[in-house]
Amino acid sequence: MRYRNNAKLQDKLAAEYVLGTLRGRARLRFQAWLRDDAALRRTVAEWEARLAPMAAAVAEVSPPRRVWRAIESRIGTGAAKSGFWESLAFWRGWGLIATGCAAALIGALALQKPQIVEVPQVVEVPVRGMQASYIAILHATQEGQKLVFVAYAPRDSDELWVKNVALGDAPAAHGYELWGLPATAGEPPRSLGMLPKVEKGTIKLAAVADQSLKDFPALAISIEPAGGSKTGLPTGPVIAKGDCLKFW
Amino acid sequence: MDPAQNKLLEGLLTACARRDQAAFARLYQLTAPKLLGVAVRILRREDWAEEVLQDCFVSIWNHAGSYSAGLSAPMTWMTSIVRNRCLDWLRRPKLEVVLERSDDDAEDPLDEMASEDPGPLDRLARLADARALADCLGRLEVKQRQAIMLAFYDGLSHSELASHMRQPLGTVKTWVRRGLERLKGCLGSV
Repeated sequence: MRYRNNAKLQDKLAAEYVLGTLRGRARLRFQAWLRDDAALRRTVAEWEARLAPMAAAVAEVSPPRRVWRAIESRIGTGAAKSGFWESLAFWRGWGLIATGCAAALIGALALQKPQIVEVPQVVEVPVRGMQASYIAILHATQEGQKLVFVAYAPRDSDELWVKNVALGDAPAAHGYELWGLPATAGEPPRSLGMLPKVEKGTIKLAAVADQSLKDFPALAISIEPAGGSKTGLPTGPVIAKGDCLKFW
Repeated sequence: MDPAQNKLLEGLLTACARRDQAAFARLYQLTAPKLLGVAVRILRREDWAEEVLQDCFVSIWNHAGSYSAGLSAPMTWMTSIVRNRCLDWLRRPKLEVVLERSDDDAEDPLDEMASEDPGPLDRLARLADARALADCLGRLEVKQRQAIMLAFYDGLSHSELASHMRQPLGTVKTWVRRGLERLKGCLGSV
């Protein structure tokens, strides 16, 4: 390898690695070298010692208490399990999601045709012709909790009607994957399929909604490679999540 | 970081290696705000930064045994863990970061660093342990210093630096490389 026995190159790579400008494949390759090269690790440590004091000028940000609670729960059992389910972002603002559900629900109903053409006047009494359905309302996980996505499926249908309200397009070579989140903590999310690349479309569920959705009180959307997550679990950032309700 | 503080953090890390949870809690108390500040600065999103911080502290707990006081000061070690994790995080699909870095963002946090504003340099110079570094940064050419500070504080890649500083990629790469070389020379001589 070219970098070996080339102290000058090693020093330059180490400096840019520590600064953060060594990116992409070069960064991964460098990390691989680091693992089996103690001298290179020392060179990196020297650069860290040179540059790390810059961090002292950064303004402190007090972490909210939930961060420590999440850390404690991850190390507390000794199992130190890491993964999507423990992911902090995932649980953020969970309680906020119910807010605005009613309005979103009406929106979700309004976009449905042909079965539902009216907004219910009295919630307790289903409008004539309305089918018992599952309705999901997803909000952005980032600040603002904006309504970004709604989905709907009659309980006896295997077609999930989806509307991309404000997700925008997925990044190049990526797509959005929809996940069902089981009620039991610790159970992994299950993929419901990739979202169509259109504003309104359908997802073919593996079985009728009453089977495919009944175990999921909530849904989430993550960014995944175009063909979907290779691992069967979300690998990219979760950008939206929200309740999945029975509407009957 | 003064020597007493260094010793304290070293002691806490050693205790963490022995699975002392009280020491870990104390370590978190003392260092998390600064480390979260570093992560927020790079990632621009508190939710992502909090998640990175969470992962880093789990990692610090799990790897406290491999911390070597001879190799790095405790804060240097932890800062590097956080910065590396942030940079890895930025390799994810960038949809949202791109949105938040759009040009019409009136309060672009990059502006502070990109201007001739000596703000962070002043702040550094006031900190005893960073004075030598601040002094050496101050001796770099302005563009070299800006490129290095943007890369360090904001996690900008070469191409992001080029577009932010409106310069060809090659020029920016040269600024970074020469700036780092000069920094090393300067720090070696003070």
